[in-house]
Amino acid sequence: MRFLGWRGWQKKMSDPKRLHPIAAVIRFLKSLKEAILPLVLVLFFGGNGSGFGFWQVIGFSVFVIVSLIYGILTWLRFTYRVENGELRIESGLFVKKKRYIPFERIQSLDFSEGILQRPFGLVKLKVETAGSSGSSDAEAVLTAIKKSEALAIQDMLTSIKHTGIVEAKEVKQQDQQVIYKMTPGQLIVLASTSGGAGVVISGALAFILQFDELIPYDLIVKEFKGLISNGIMFISIVVFLVLLLAWVVSVFLTMLKYADYTIKKVEDDIIISRGLLEKRQLTIPLSRVQGILVTENILRQPFGLCSVYLESAGGSIEKNASSKALLLPLIKKNQLEGLLSPFFEEYYFNPEMVPAPRRSLRRYMFRSFILPISIIILALVFFRPWGYFSLLLIPIAALSAYLQYKDAGWNLQQQQLTLTFRRVVKHTIFMKKNKIQSLSMWRSHFQDNLSLATIGASIISGPGGSGGTVKDLESKDIIKIYDWYKYQG
Amino acid sequence: MLSQPQRRISERALPVWRITGVIITLLFLSLLGGIIGLSIVFDWPVWISVVASILFLISAYVDILLFPHLRWKHWRYEVREQEIEIQRGIFVIKRTLVPMVRVQHVDTEQGPILRKYNLATVTIATAATVHGIPALDVDEAEEMRHAISRLARVAEEDV
Repeated sequence: MRFLGWRGWQKKMSDPKRLHPIAAVIRFLKSLKEAILPLVLVLFFGGNGSGFGFWQVIGFSVFVIVSLIYGILTWLRFTYRVENGELRIESGLFVKKKRYIPFERIQSLDFSEGILQRPFGLVKLKVETAGSSGSSDAEAVLTAIKKSEALAIQDMLTSIKHTGIVEAKEVKQQDQQVIYKMTPGQLIVLASTSGGAGVVISGALAFILQFDELIPYDLIVKEFKGLISNGIMFISIVVFLVLLLAWVVSVFLTMLKYADYTIKKVEDDIIISRGLLEKRQLTIPLSRVQGILVTENILRQPFGLCSVYLESAGGSIEKNASSKALLLPLIKKNQLEGLLSPFFEEYYFNPEMVPAPRRSLRRYMFRSFILPISIIILALVFFRPWGYFSLLLIPIAALSAYLQYKDAGWNLQQQQLTLTFRRVVKHTIFMKKNKIQSLSMWRSHFQDNLSLATIGASIISGPGGSGGTVKDLESKDIIKIYDWYKYQG
Repeated sequence: MLSQPQRRISERALPVWRITGVIITLLFLSLLGGIIGLSIVFDWPVWISVVASILFLISAYVDILLFPHLRWKHWRYEVREQEIEIQRGIFVIKRTLVPMVRVQHVDTEQGPILRKYNLATVTIATAATVHGIPALDVDEAEEMRHAISRLARVAEEDV
């Protein structure tokens, strides 16, 4: 099917087509899912407490039937076709909507295979356009279409993009080049150091805290010693096990999500595919890359591990992420250059960062302490004895200020500005002068006294902007960066 | 030190910002009235009303007199052939460079208070950021909008 000439496809593809019927089911399940919370509330708290009443059952059934009919009708009304170099979608139950998307405007196609799509060899195709309108409306989703059709649309897109003319094109297999494949070992490290690990640490902490509390209890009520300590031990163990289980589940889910992580380069696009149950594929045209972001969280930083994101122009790449595309979930920092340089030739990945001067540490400290100090004062005034625990915020604030100060830095190398800064996670952002949309510097009276200033650069990232801001660098350095960006007439 | 951008915004910005400050102050005044009223009804300690009144007086001074003055003093801009430079701020002074090649569109807009004073705001948008120059004379704002959109079209990539 796939190798049919474009002419053959054109005849077929210009006819309005429906999605696979499974789309109706997906729609139906989606409306059920959206309604589940209100439904549960009504079922359990709306009644008089004596189980499900007659009307509740009726209401529930009506809702299910209406959603089912709605799903089917939505499916019936939804057609798509390819005509005159445009993807044309018509939909709408009460209000008829027509959306024509010219192929040149399409930025990327995102394939995913959900559990419901897989058995039928279907894919969900997300079409992303440039985020000029800024709304998530600017894209189209074909919930369930045949894989071959999705591939045909993709081929058409590539051929139009490259030649500007609609014409057939054989898929060149030899142009594919695998850049990176995650090994099972890396996958395990990735999964176990992702967010879920925090759960385990808090679990272990709770466990230790429980042990501490055993001591006063023992002294006060000796006869209940066995019982209480056993009870507390029991609760601690249960809590710990629950947390451990949560962590294992999160590790497992992360592994499913990132299993088979492969990055390929096909012509001028980077294609990321991942996932075991739900296969996802993401295409990023290299020319749309606006900047490269490297993040190191506190668990991974000591091991020299980091994650790499591509900031790219164009619609929402992943709904939940702020349109940063995760390129490498986990990589040794010293392998970065070797891996990325061939594809981002103009980028320097190992610039020597100029740190913030020593005298800016006090400003980092000051900023970091404002909130904790006010909390501590309130806690000590109103919540004594327990309020003393708020004093623990002092070392935390000091440490976080010190890390933020230590990770602040900048570098200019020809056409590239690199900024590093820490919010919670350490960010390093590589930006090219011609991709920076605007550059700002800030200085206050207090900064002036110390000859310090703040710099910020904005780049495009999806519908909105992104970029980096580094506080309290040497003001001479900031002016150097500002002058670099200024037009040199 | 870098030289500042040369042009200032219209002096009529001051009365406009002061009027805005008065409106905010009136809102706070009704809040203050509410607090004092509640203190009387529920016999709250007197210091609550005193603190609220002091805060109100400070905010009135800051919103009506101090901030408009500082803001106007620091507001500077310059539209050059290849870039726009903006300086603004009250305590923290922010300076921004926007290259002409990055400008996506320019708008002028006018609220009721601005209209009364024959002023308009120019908004310059890039693909990632939006920058406004408030309170320019209407004619000047129109002229700037035309100038920027003309310059943005001819500006060339220098890299």
